[in-house]
Amino acid sequence: MSEAKENGGGKASPSAHTRRRVLRAAFTAAVAVTGTTAVLHPIITAGESDAGKTGSGRSDAGSDRAGSAPAAAAGAFDEVYRGRRIQGVPTGTADAATTEGSPVVILIDGRQLHVMRRADGTYLSVANHYQPYATPLDTARGAVDVIGGAKLSLAGGAYHH
Amino acid sequence: MYTRQNQKNMTSAQRAKFVRAVLKLKSKGIYDDFVRIHGQYYVSDGDTGLRVGHMTPSFFPWHRRLILEFERKLQSVDSSVTLPYWDWTRDNAKTSSIWASDFLGGDGRRSDGQVMTGPFAYVNGNWPITVAVTDEKYLTRQFGRPDRPIGLPTKADLDKAIAESVYDTSPWNSTATTKGFRNRIEGWTVSETQGGLLHNRVHQWVGGHMTGATSPNDPVFWLHHAFIDLIWLRWQRKYPKSGYLPARPLAASDPQHGRVVSLNEPMPPWNTKPSEVMNLQNIYRYEEN
Ligand SMILES: [Cu+2]
Ligand SMILES: [Cu+2]
Repeated sequence: MSEAKENGGGKASPSAHTRRRVLRAAFTAAVAVTGTTAVLHPIITAGESDAGKTGSGRSDAGSDRAGSAPAAAAGAFDEVYRGRRIQGVPTGTADAATTEGSPVVILIDGRQLHVMRRADGTYLSVANHYQPYATPLDTARGAVDVIGGAKLSLAGGAYHH
Repeated sequence: MYTRQNQKNMTSAQRAKFVRAVLKLKSKGIYDDFVRIHGQYYVSDGDTGLRVGHMTPSFFPWHRRLILEFERKLQSVDSSVTLPYWDWTRDNAKTSSIWASDFLGGDGRRSDGQVMTGPFAYVNGNWPITVAVTDEKYLTRQFGRPDRPIGLPTKADLDKAIAESVYDTSPWNSTATTKGFRNRIEGWTVSETQGGLLHNRVHQWVGGHMTGATSPNDPVFWLHHAFIDLIWLRWQRKYPKSGYLPARPLAASDPQHGRVVSLNEPMPPWNTKPSEVMNLQNIYRYEEN
């Protein structure tokens, strides 16, 4: 079965694929080294915003995610949910490769929650691959609902595309 | 030719044999390869790149091939073992015999979701979780999603989806605009509060690892997907003239070009074409009762 690893995820161009992995690894490493999110704090521009409260509507970020930097800043959040600190940290960049297509990087107690986007703009996280969420905040809370007190693995991003 | 049984009809000797073979694959490291592969080929439809496993027409043939590969590995350990299936429309209680301590073990405990009974309980020493998105070493479950309770799909839910005579439609993804049998069974097209439909709902209902990127960590994954495979077979029998779609590669102008697999294109990692697994009746059959 080792052929699977060598084949990569499919027909995506190998360079794009590799680049994304490299950037993701770099980000994860930064979080791991500091052990906290201190290094990311300066770019959090807002606390919980109204973006997190529109859970009933579907996010439309999927249609124009490349140019959504202002919306990204508005999507920031920082709260304690069921005993876990959950944060949505704007990346300050519109490059979807660094953020897995999300306007914010989601952290749970300082560790990155890897996410994917659906074609309708909703989010999936590695904690929940069978349930879409409308916003990064909903995604973070939904992940805590599944993992409870468990610590996110630093290798978590390796287990999905 | 061999038979895949409904798990509820297995004798205790058959249950023990199946469990032994699964534990053997785990101890040899083979089991965890399957956990990795399933995660690796889970590409979402908001992403670029080829989708073979989910949110895509080849959801059925890719998983048919995956579980066949797993079954072959089981049979390399014990040639008399076959994959059982779990009909969750009927065995839908938290106390169903599938969850007995001589088979898959029971629900996770309330505090941390840890499964405490059966051969796959961490405390029993044979089932450490090594490929995971959290650092915990134990298998977790949360039957029925206690925070926002959901039930398993009903026979009426399933029958409605099987009644759909078209296999799949453009845009060949998970959005509500994609009509057809495949997208209905996968179960994306419903709101968060309802916890998905059919295939997705079952992952949600079991909870814990079954909900996440490494869902095959829970051996019930194989029994769930054997039933999904039987559901496809039933649909194939009901609509023998409704084949797999798309039948031909999509045009270069199609936004889904290169992202979904048509009937005669290969599916990684085995390079098997959907057309090659349309009819496996010479390999296995299902005991349907
Ligand atoms: Cu799957
Ligand atoms: Cu599944």
